[in-house]
Amino acid sequence: MCHRWPPFAKLFTAIAMILAATCVPITHGPLVGIVACVIFFAHTLARIPLAYVCRRLLFFWPTLFLMAISLPLSQAGQKGWLLFVTIFVRGTLSFSTALWLVNVMPFDQLLATLRHLRVPDVLLAIVSLMYRFLFVLWDELDRMRTARSARMFRKPTLWETWRSAAHLVGRLLIRALDRADRIHGAMLARGWDGRTRWIEQRREDRP
Amino acid sequence: MHIQDGVLSPVVCAATGAISLGTVGYSVHRLKQSVGDRTIPLTGMMAALVFAGQMVNFPIGAPVSGHLLGGVLAAAVVGPWAGCVAMTLVLFVQWALFSDGGLFALGANVLHMAVIGAWGGHAVRMFVQRFFGGSRKGIVIGSVIAAWATVMAAAALFCLEFRLSWPSREIDFSKVFTLMVSFHSLIGLGEALITGVAISFVLNQRPELIWKMGTLARPHEGAGKSVHPPIATITRTLVAGLVIALAIASFLSPFASSFDDGLEAVLGKLNLELNLTGSVPGLLEDYDRIPVPVAAWQSIAVSFAGIGGTLAVFVLAWLLGKALPAAPPQLSEAAGE
Amino acid sequence: MTESSVISSPSAVRVERLSFRYPGGPDVLTDISFTIAPGEIIGLVGPSGAGKSTLLQHLNGLLPSKLPDTSTLPLEADTRQGVFIDNIPVARKTIAEIRRRVGFLFQDPDDQLFCPTVFEDVAFGPLNLGLSDDEVRQRVRGSLASVGLAGYEPRSTLRLSLGERKRVCLAGVFACQPSVLTLDEPFSSLDPRARRTLIAILRQFSGSQIIATHDLDIVVDLCHRVLLLDGGQLRAAGQTRDILGNEALMERHGLEVPWRLRQK
Repeated sequence: MCHRWPPFAKLFTAIAMILAATCVPITHGPLVGIVACVIFFAHTLARIPLAYVCRRLLFFWPTLFLMAISLPLSQAGQKGWLLFVTIFVRGTLSFSTALWLVNVMPFDQLLATLRHLRVPDVLLAIVSLMYRFLFVLWDELDRMRTARSARMFRKPTLWETWRSAAHLVGRLLIRALDRADRIHGAMLARGWDGRTRWIEQRREDRP
Repeated sequence: MHIQDGVLSPVVCAATGAISLGTVGYSVHRLKQSVGDRTIPLTGMMAALVFAGQMVNFPIGAPVSGHLLGGVLAAAVVGPWAGCVAMTLVLFVQWALFSDGGLFALGANVLHMAVIGAWGGHAVRMFVQRFFGGSRKGIVIGSVIAAWATVMAAAALFCLEFRLSWPSREIDFSKVFTLMVSFHSLIGLGEALITGVAISFVLNQRPELIWKMGTLARPHEGAGKSVHPPIATITRTLVAGLVIALAIASFLSPFASSFDDGLEAVLGKLNLELNLTGSVPGLLEDYDRIPVPVAAWQSIAVSFAGIGGTLAVFVLAWLLGKALPAAPPQLSEAAGE
Repeated sequence: MTESSVISSPSAVRVERLSFRYPGGPDVLTDISFTIAPGEIIGLVGPSGAGKSTLLQHLNGLLPSKLPDTSTLPLEADTRQGVFIDNIPVARKTIAEIRRRVGFLFQDPDDQLFCPTVFEDVAFGPLNLGLSDDEVRQRVRGSLASVGLAGYEPRSTLRLSLGERKRVCLAGVFACQPSVLTLDEPFSSLDPRARRTLIAILRQFSGSQIIATHDLDIVVDLCHRVLLLDGGQLRAAGQTRDILGNEALMERHGLEVPWRLRQK
């Protein structure tokens, strides 16, 4: 049901929860518990499958662990482990909140909300263009990768792998910039003059 | 290396956030000033490209792989202002789509990868490039060194932020820093290699795409129209100096405090990671076997990571610069296709 | 074998002795002249690399990148070079008006659909025309209905089939209410059904159209006249059946007489 909340409410709930998660003193067990419960409750309200959250957490924990583990390794005593747990708990809680937001708030809704919050139009125009062509580039990248591996007849050396991967990036860059040029043409063809204009989609436009 | 929420303290998050807001705000201001009608599609596409480019994995050893960060590359193509904005948006979208990195840590991530990456990277590249008279070799060598320096500078900043986040006398941060700096010298090497090869690839195929001072040239349009006001040389040199100083500081950071018994554990960890990797860390690993007193070891390891890494980067820069075929007479005139 | 232009007759598009080259490159277009009457559908055919796309890009001022600054001069049209849309020269000062009148359908719909949702994308042109919000909404609804995609407004532009994407692009163009439509390879890689739908939509459009395509059977079906372009020069212009049925001419320019005309 969180999905139907007004976008502002979703964004500010998420920010408040992340704020709570990153500031909560770890030594106050009950407080941590409350924050965790609120986040968990939000997840159940939004009907986000627990398995999905666990799977994302499994991929998330190793990176967090790498950062956090250096503290107890530096300091054998209790203090180091306390900081370790602090980072770990805060990281996990705020990550879960971010997951919640990602799942209840579609990206275009987030952009519309940011527009109401007076984020500069230039930024939003760039980010919506980026979001749009991200997927096009991914597809292109996929095709180029397939083409590359189709021509690979033996196991390449490390240097060859690196070079071909860097060339992949270079080729993608050239294609992307050419596409930017064509997009620019298409924008000009429909009267673009460098100024961003925007119209809100109303409910009647969303049948 | 995205910093997650919770790793840095709220105060540090706020401080880095404020710095980033200021610098990105200034970038947006410069971008708006220079808004030709082409800037928005170009910057958006560049951001999408960096995002997609980060998906290309570069295997290092069995389970470890690196990827492009892209700040120097972005600045090389669309200039420092648009590059900084593009990198910022990449980080934002990564958080908003995949919850990579953190919301409050966004400030720190932007500072490391967008501000240092694009602004700093551009300044360092221009600084180095000047010694080559703006030739294509200079562009490649400059970007290799810039890529390395920006990653190391980001590492130094991260150490500082981490230290400020957890103020505790009992903790000996030198090990944390050793670990960080060693990791980052690997990431930096990778970034230098990828950026260098990608930029020399573009220079070979479509040299007109590399951003030139004061222009946002359209392909097919000889000189390009000047939409970016030039950046003062002094400012650029200052920024370049700052980034390089930070990069150097990253190698000195472990010496800042004393050593203790946790050392062995970190070293074990360090070796575990480094064993998976290529030639330069191999040197480190050998050094580990030489029976030097443990306290001295760490300084040597970091110095080695620093000196060896820096040497490797210079060799790489030289090789990539040398591998470039003869340059066309004028950079911007070679029309593609 | 160019067509002499008649100044007095109304023309939607008039091209006078147009030549073009990229800086430092060879000529892409050489001395091209033709006129198109209002409501006429023209097929622009020729081998790949003949300059078809380049010619189309001239019609709404995407090329040359430095437009001539001639709009202040009096119109003495017959002696002048250049492109004229409804007798307005394509120049720096008229460019906004030209682009309002000429709609351009690009070959790759991904280049043209740059907004995240269908609504935003179709609204892009009308918004740039400075229309009021209500008018913009009306135009979006109307033009989406005219391409048979009513109710697609909130859809993401990422999750559409190729045929649908082409039609959304077309809706975006129609929303500006152009009097001339230029289409670059509109039928490439469409499946037969999507192709038929697109043809039906194009038939209903009342303005003039210039369709650059390799699909000669559709040209026979749809176009009143044909321009044959090769090596940057206008090699032939005339009635569709006369040109496309001329086997020697078609052979010479690397084309084939379409099945429709061969079986006859």
